[in-house]
Amino acid sequence: MLLSYLKIAWKVLLRRKFFTAISLFGISFTLMILLVVYALFDYTVGPHQPELRTDRLLFVTRMKLVYRDGGLSNGNMGYAFLDQHVRPLKTPEKVSLSLGNFSTVVAYVGNQTLKLDRKFTDGEFWQVLDFDFVAGRPYNPREVHDAAHVAVLNETTARRYFGSVAGAVGHQVVLDAVPYQVVGVVADVAISRINSYADVWLPITTTTDNLRNPEYIGRYQAILLARSPADVDRIKDEYQQVMAHVPVPDPKRFAKTESYAHTVLASLTSRFTNEGAAEGGVGRFTQMGLGLGLLFLLLPALNLVNINVSRTLERASEIGVRKAFGATAGRLVGQFLVENIFLTLLGGVLGLALAAGVLALINSSHFLPYAHLGLNERVFGVALGIVLFFGVLSGAYPAYKISKLHAVRALKGDTGS
Amino acid sequence: MIRHLFTLMWNRKRANGLLVLEIFLAFVVLFAVGSTGVYLWSNYRAPLGFEYEHVWEIDMNPGNQPRAEQYATLQRVLARLRATPGVVTASRSVDNTPFAFSNNTTEYTAGANNPKVYGDIYDAGPELRDVLGLRLVAGRWFDRRDEAAGHRRPIIITELAQAKLFPGGESALGKAIHSTSEGDKDKEYEVVGVTGPYRAGGELSEPQPGYFSYVSPQDTARALFDLLVRVQPGSGAALEKRLQDDIRTTSGGWASSIVSLPEQRLTQLKLLLTLPIVLGVVCVFLLVNVALGLFGVLWLNINQRRSELGVRRALGASGAAISGQVLGEILVLTTFGLVLGLVVAAQFPLLGVLDVKPGVYLAAMGLAAVGLYALAAGCALYPSQLAARIQPAVALREE
Repeated sequence: MLLSYLKIAWKVLLRRKFFTAISLFGISFTLMILLVVYALFDYTVGPHQPELRTDRLLFVTRMKLVYRDGGLSNGNMGYAFLDQHVRPLKTPEKVSLSLGNFSTVVAYVGNQTLKLDRKFTDGEFWQVLDFDFVAGRPYNPREVHDAAHVAVLNETTARRYFGSVAGAVGHQVVLDAVPYQVVGVVADVAISRINSYADVWLPITTTTDNLRNPEYIGRYQAILLARSPADVDRIKDEYQQVMAHVPVPDPKRFAKTESYAHTVLASLTSRFTNEGAAEGGVGRFTQMGLGLGLLFLLLPALNLVNINVSRTLERASEIGVRKAFGATAGRLVGQFLVENIFLTLLGGVLGLALAAGVLALINSSHFLPYAHLGLNERVFGVALGIVLFFGVLSGAYPAYKISKLHAVRALKGDTGS
Repeated sequence: MIRHLFTLMWNRKRANGLLVLEIFLAFVVLFAVGSTGVYLWSNYRAPLGFEYEHVWEIDMNPGNQPRAEQYATLQRVLARLRATPGVVTASRSVDNTPFAFSNNTTEYTAGANNPKVYGDIYDAGPELRDVLGLRLVAGRWFDRRDEAAGHRRPIIITELAQAKLFPGGESALGKAIHSTSEGDKDKEYEVVGVTGPYRAGGELSEPQPGYFSYVSPQDTARALFDLLVRVQPGSGAALEKRLQDDIRTTSGGWASSIVSLPEQRLTQLKLLLTLPIVLGVVCVFLLVNVALGLFGVLWLNINQRRSELGVRRALGASGAAISGQVLGEILVLTTFGLVLGLVVAAQFPLLGVLDVKPGVYLAAMGLAAVGLYALAAGCALYPSQLAARIQPAVALREE
C-alpha cells in the first residue's frame, strides 16, 4: 500500500516538473537555513572539542552583586573568591580555575605582528577539558605552582610563529617581551567556545594580575567536572549552599550576592543576557529560538500549502474515481500526507547537501576564526524532525480539502473552489 | 472596473484566503528588511566627523603598579611617545574610543526651561582635536586657558547637541549647562566651543548629540590608560614594536596593545553587518519562494479557468482586457494583503517600538508596498499573457 502511494507520488512529481522544482526549492532552502543555524548552535554548545563531556561539565562564570538601591553589578568572578569557595567543593571530580575571557598579547615574527588571544589557566584545566594535543604535552599543576614560563599554543599560532608544528615544542615563544617555553601544541579551538578558546594558554601564576584581590567580581571563571551526569544537579545544589553562607562583601552597599553553576548553554546565555538566575535564561532562549524558527517556517509552509492545493485540485477526477470506488476520507488524507512527506523528504536530502555546502563555505571564509562546522548525527536528527514537521504542517490542509470533495462533482472535474 | 474586481475577489475570499495570508507575510518580511535597510543607510549617509586613517589606539595595562605611581609613569610614557619619530600627536582618552563598542552617555540641560538632552560624553584633552581632525564650528578647542581652575568648567558640544539644548537656534557659546545626574547637579559647565559631528560609534551608529568634557594634562584623578595616537602615513609593524618596547621600558613593565582605527573599524563593521546581511539573505530567499509560489498558483489558476476566459473572449473581450483582468485580480489580492500588513506595520511608529524615528518606518512601508506590487505584478505577467493567448474556439471545445 505504502509502496503504491510512493509510486503514485513519484509519478505525480514527474508530471509537472516545474512545480516539483518550485516545491523542492522552497523546502530545501528552508531546511538549509534552519540546519545551518542549528549546526552553528550545536558547534557552540554541543559536545565538541575541547568541551567534549558537556553532560558532566559545569561553569561558574558570573557573579551578580545586588545593590541596596536595586542596582546590579555583573561580571566574571574574582580569583580569590573561586579559590576559597569553589575549589574546595566536594561533589565535583575536578575543579579548574582560569581567566574568564581572553586578553590580547603581541608576538613579533620578523616584521610581522601576531596578535594572540591568551588565556591563563591552572594545570587542572587540561584534565577537565579534552584538548586534542597535536604535539607535546600540557603543563602540569606542579609547573603552574612554580610559575614556570611554559606555554601551550594552538596549531595555527605554532605554524605562524615557528613555521611548523613539529618545530614548536621545546622552543621559546616571546609574548610581550617575555619568553615562554612551548611544551605542547593543540588543535585549533573555535572562538565560539568562549570558555576554553585561546591562541596561547599560559600558567595562571604567570599573570601580572593580583590573584589575592578579595573582590568578588573579577576576571576569572571555574570549570567543574562532575563524576557522572547525575552528579551535575548535586554540584549545583552544593554550590548554592556555599553561596548561601558567603558573606555579602559590603553590607552597607550590597543587599545580596548571586552566582550559579551553569551548563555550557546557560553559561553563554547568562553571559549575554546578564540573567543570573539558576537556569541562566535557557528557557527564554529556547522559547525565542523555537518561536523564531516557527515564524520562519510559516511563509515557506504557506507557500507549499498554496501550491499543493492548486496541484491536488488538478487531480480532482482521480480523487473522484477513488471516492467512487469506496476510498474513505481518512484513507485519502493518509495518501496525500504520505505524498507530501515524501516530497519534503526529497527536499530534506537536498537541504542537507546544501547545508553541508554552506557550512564548508563558512569554514573556508574564516569568518569564524578556527571554525570547523559540519553535519553530525544531531544535525541529521534535527533535519529529520523538521522535515516531518514541515511535511505534516504543509500537507494537512490540502489533504483535508481533498477529503471534503464530493465524489460526483469531483468526477466531473468541478473542484468547487 | 476596479470596484468590480474588488467585488469579484471579495466573493472568493475563502478560496484566496491563504494567498492573501502569504502576501501579508511577504509584506511583513519586506517591511522588516526595509526598516533595517533604511535605518542603516540613513546612518551611513550621515558624516562621521573625524579622520581615522593613520590613527592608532594604544591600550595600556599597568598591572600591579600601585595607583599612586601610575600617573607619573603615564606622564613619562606620554613624553616618550610624543618624542618618538613617526608619532605626530598623542591624546589620552577613556575606553569609548572610535569604533570600540563602548559608549558613555549622560544628560545635560541649559536650565529649567530648556530641554534635557541625552548624548554621548567623551573625555578629551587639548590634543584630541589634532589627533582626530575634528572640525570646529564656533568658539575654540581646549587649550592652556582651561588649566586655570575657574568657577565654571569648560565643555565643548557638537552642533546636534547645540540644536537640541537651545531649540531657539541661538548660539551655545559662553552659555552655561549642567548635568542632570544627581551627583553632578551643582557643577556648571561653560560651552567654549561647538564642533561638527563626532560619531565614535562608527558609520552605522545613529547620530547622537555629543559632549566633550575637559581632561587637563595634569588631571590625576582618573588614569585614562587608552591613548589615541596620530602617526605618520606609512607607519607599520616596526613602529608598533618600537612603541610597545618604549612603553615597557619607560614604564617598567606596562603591557600594551596597539590597534589601528581602520582595523578597528573593519572589525566593527564585520560584527555589525553580519546579522543584517544574514537576515537579508534569508529574506531574499523567502521572497523568491513567495514569488515562485505565486507564479505557480496563478499559472494553475489560468489553466483551470480556461473555459471561463474562453467565454469572455468569445463574447468580444480583447486579449489585453483578459490579461488586464488577471493582472488586476492579483493586484487586488495584493492590496488586501497590503492593508493587513500596513495595519501591523503602523503599530511600530504608533507605539514607538525600538526607539527609531517614525520617518524610517514610513519610508520602509513605502518601499515595502512598492516592492510587494512589483513582486505580484512580476509574477502575474507571464500567466496573464498566457490567459490572453487562449483561443476561444479551443477553450470552449474542451468543455
